Parts: sequence; C-alpha cells; structure tokens
Amino acid sequence: MAHAIADKSKLLSAANTALPVGAGRMASLALLALGGITIALTILGAVLGDDTAKKVALASFHVGFLVTLGLALGSMILVMILHQVNAGWSATIRRQLENVMSMIPVCLVFFLPVAILAPMIFHWMDPHYTDGDVVYAAKASFLNKPFFYVRAVIYFGAWLYFSQRLYRLSIGQDSDGDRWRSAKARKMSSYGLLIMALTTAFAAFDWMMSLDYHWFSTMFGVYFFAGFIGVATSLCALILIILRRAGVMEGLVTQEHLHDLGKLMFGFVVFWAYIGFSQYFLIWYGNIPEETMWFQVRRTDGWMPYSVALAFGRFVIPFVVLMARPARRNPMILATVAIWLLAFNALDLFWVVRPTVHTPDGHSIMFGWLDAVAILGPVCIFFGLLVRKIASNPVVPVNDPRMDEGIAHKNYV
Amino acid sequence: MAGLKKKSHGGTWGVLAEFESPAAVYHAAEQVRDAGYSKWDVYAPIPIHGMDEAMGLKGSKMAWIVGTFAAMGASGGFLLQWWTSAVAYPIVVNDKPFGAWEQFTPVTFELGVLFAGISAVFGMLAINGLPRWNHPLFSSERFLSASDDGFFIGIESKDAKFNSDATSKLLEKAGGFNIEMVEDQ
Repeated sequence: MAHAIADKSKLLSAANTALPVGAGRMASLALLALGGITIALTILGAVLGDDTAKKVALASFHVGFLVTLGLALGSMILVMILHQVNAGWSATIRRQLENVMSMIPVCLVFFLPVAILAPMIFHWMDPHYTDGDVVYAAKASFLNKPFFYVRAVIYFGAWLYFSQRLYRLSIGQDSDGDRWRSAKARKMSSYGLLIMALTTAFAAFDWMMSLDYHWFSTMFGVYFFAGFIGVATSLCALILIILRRAGVMEGLVTQEHLHDLGKLMFGFVVFWAYIGFSQYFLIWYGNIPEETMWFQVRRTDGWMPYSVALAFGRFVIPFVVLMARPARRNPMILATVAIWLLAFNALDLFWVVRPTVHTPDGHSIMFGWLDAVAILGPVCIFFGLLVRKIASNPVVPVNDPRMDEGIAHKNYV
Repeated sequence: MAGLKKKSHGGTWGVLAEFESPAAVYHAAEQVRDAGYSKWDVYAPIPIHGMDEAMGLKGSKMAWIVGTFAAMGASGGFLLQWWTSAVAYPIVVNDKPFGAWEQFTPVTFELGVLFAGISAVFGMLAINGLPRWNHPLFSSERFLSASDDGFFIGIESKDAKFNSDATSKLLEKAGGFNIEMVEDQ
C-alpha cells in the first residue's frame, strides 16, 4: 500500500488517465454509421411494410430504447450506491459508470418516437380495444393517456436532474479538487436512490408491463431493475477491460477491481434469475387466467425456444462460468461474459415486449430482420456516442478523495 | 543457539520466534516461504493484509467442498421430491403435472443452500484441525501475547526441512527474537 501511494502522482499522470486525442474516433464513427443505416432500414421497413410490420418495427425500436435506458439507469443506480456506501474501492472505476449514466438525454431522444407512436403498440390507448373492457376500466384511473405522459415527464425529469448533477459534480472535481463535491454527491444519492427505485419500477409498469395491460404482476418493477443493474455492471467491466488494453489505467484499475465487478455480475445474474423465477412460479402456482396468459404466450406459439434460451443464456451458463474465481480474474473470460450478458439482456427485453405484437388474426411473429435493425439502431448510436464521451474525459476521477483506497484495493479471499 | 536443546518429554513440536511488528513478521514470512518450508504458520492478533502471498499460501479447498455438497443437496432434494410425488405416490395437486420442475425448485434450492452452509462450517473446522483440546504452542508463556500484541512464526518439526539449529538461525536472521523450542505434549 505504501508503495502504491508513493507512485500516486505517476499513476494519475495525464499519460495514464487521459486517452490520446482522437482515440476511439474510428470505432465511434463506425458505430454511428451502423446506427444510422439500421435506423434508416427500420424506417424503410416500417414505411413500406403493412400495419403489422409498422408495429413490429416500433416494438423492436422500443426494445432498443429500453436496452440503452437500462444501461444508463443501472449505471446511475450503481454510482449512487457507491457514493452512498462511500465505497473506496470503486473510486477508480466510477468514472466509466458516470459516462454511461450521462447518456440519459440520448435515451430521451429515443423515447420520443415511442411516445408519439405509442397507441400503435400500447393497445390500452386505443378505445377500439378498451371499450367495455372491465379489467381496463378498473385500471383506467392510472393507465390513461394524459397521466402516462405526465409520468414519463416526471421520470425523465428526475433522471436528467440526477444524472447531470452527479456527472457535473464528478467532472468538476477533476479540475478544482473540491472534496465537498463528494459529500454533495453522497447526500444527493441518499434520496436519489429512493426516487430511482420508484421511477424505474413505475417506468417498467408503464413501458413494458402495460403493453399487455390485462396482466398483473407486483414483481415486474424489480424484474426490470434486476436485469439492468447486472448489465450496467457488465458494461462497466467491458469498458474497463478495453481501456486497460488501450494502455491507460495502469495500476489504477487492476485485476482486483475486475474481480469485484465479476462478483457483482455473478450476484446480479443470480438475482435476476431469482426474481424472474419468483414471478413465474407464483403465477404458475396460482393459476389465475389474467396472470397466466402472459406466460402462456411465452410458453407456446413459437416463443418457448426464446424462453428456454433466456433461462440458460441469462442464468445457467453465466452462473456456472462466473462461479469460478479464476474466470472472474481473467479479463478475456470476463469480457466475453459481459458481452454475452449484454446480448441476453436485449433478448430478455425483446421477450417481454415483442410477443405483445400479433398479426391481425392473432398469430405471433418471430424475430426477423426488421427486429434486428430496429434494436441495433438505438443501441449502436448509444454506444457510438458513449465512445466519444469516454474519450473526452479523464478515465478516472483524478481528484476523488477516496483515490488512495481505490488504487490500493485488493481482494483477500 | 547453543542454549536450545530438545527437551524430550514427547519430542519437539517445533520452533517459535517472536517479531516486533506486522511488517517484520510479514518480511520474515517471505524468507521462511523462500527457504522452502511447508509446515509452518504465522500467528498475529490482527489480520495482516497480503500475508497469504507472503506465506505462499494457495487458494482454499473450501470452494470444492462446498460446491460438491451444494450439488449433492440440490440433486438429492430434486430427486427425493420427484420420486415421491411423480413415481412412488403420485397425487394430483392443483391440477399440476406430477413431475413439473417448477414445484420442486424452492426445496431444491433450499437443500442446496443448506448442504452448502453445513459443509462450509464443518469443512472449515476439518481443514483447520478443529475441534481440539489443546495445542503445543499454548505451553509457551510468550505465545499468549499472540492474541494481544505479539507476532509469531512457528515452524513444525514435522517439516521435512526442519533442523532445530538451522531453522532457529533462519528465524533469528529474519528478525525473530525470544526463539524457543516448543515441546510436543
């Protein structure tokens, strides 16, 4: 430890904490170009296609939006937790979570087309579906158009406020070194976490659950949370591994930090499975039609292979791989699992959202090219802009008061 | 170390040396490790960070013990439920299929956790050589301070490299004092 602190000025030198000018520009441009092409293809496919194709395109674009939103919200909640518990070990990794968190405005842009075109896939907005529907009538005081949009404004207002405040506190500390900024961030995080818990749960009810507005599940808010918090951890590990390969963060982010992120990934994989199974199990056992119909669709009619793939890909396989300590300490294995989990999180959201779109005579529509481009569009743009964001700041919060602790961090078990 | 002689009641357990500070015992441990000893230990009133590497300890076997028992508990729990409610004495409950995996999951999970927990406790005790009534080191007056302010290294005579003179010299060279032979009891 004494050794690490003696070298601190060298570790925190610009050469070790700032990427060279123009780093990642090609990757960013490639991602943005791919995002632009896929969005153009999505629009083309929707405009030229029939009504069903339009719905498919919008639903899958919605999935892409939710993937990016989950990454940003998960990173923000992690930042708040790390501030709140005053986690010294995380001082050197927090900046990457902050970069992802600061992308909330991009998510808002993705949400706008979904919000405008919502009646196409949110059938409860359409009187054609809800006239004389007693289940809807009982939910109508909450699930009505004006309140839906008011809530969306509240969610995004809260998310923009917290993400931009926390981001600026951290970036500001880079230049002025004011330790009180850490205290402010910690204070904000206390009530911020409560607000995040409520807004993310209700956003999940509004934007995912209400697609099937007859359905009941009190577990769904936690299900969304359990999924995105794990992939936010995975994305952080992936970014750090790539940055280490780019030759920065030497001695700042070590195998020890990656090991701990691997533990968190493992924990959230188990947590996701626990929540997902609990939701399924209670509904399966209770056997009440307005609850089981949600799973019935996903167990029949071609969606069953997706459900099985989800159970194995999102739980069993990463669970077994991440259980081994050497796997969590190996950057290549950890990066592979991180990419794997990012992909299966997208499948998870697809599995929640897309079975609600049918052909006019009620048949399911499986994954097709239009789904692929519609999901990739927002995701590629998000990552393209994220690469720029990462390159534009020091890769660690250089003046964080807990930096010594973060540098010296080690796992003793 | 001419004053050190084997007192042959039950033979020699080994040699014990005291050290000034956590740093001193840490660096001494590195020297004992590099000298190639295997049956020895460091005694300190506080956990000393990095001591595992300084002693050259390998990872614990606990994960394998716990993992094996957890797998046994989970598979045993699943098979027991499946055999009783789908094979030996099928009863219709709530119109569910006899062999549905869903209904077996909670008990399967809990038995996995139970076996893991129990094997963790007893495996830890077994690996640490516990329970035991006494330890030869307790006969040393100085050693009592290992739970207060003393830092010690004890090397057992069972070690293949053990030689009372050479081992004592090594500890002395590494900064040890109050070096004493500890009798086996």
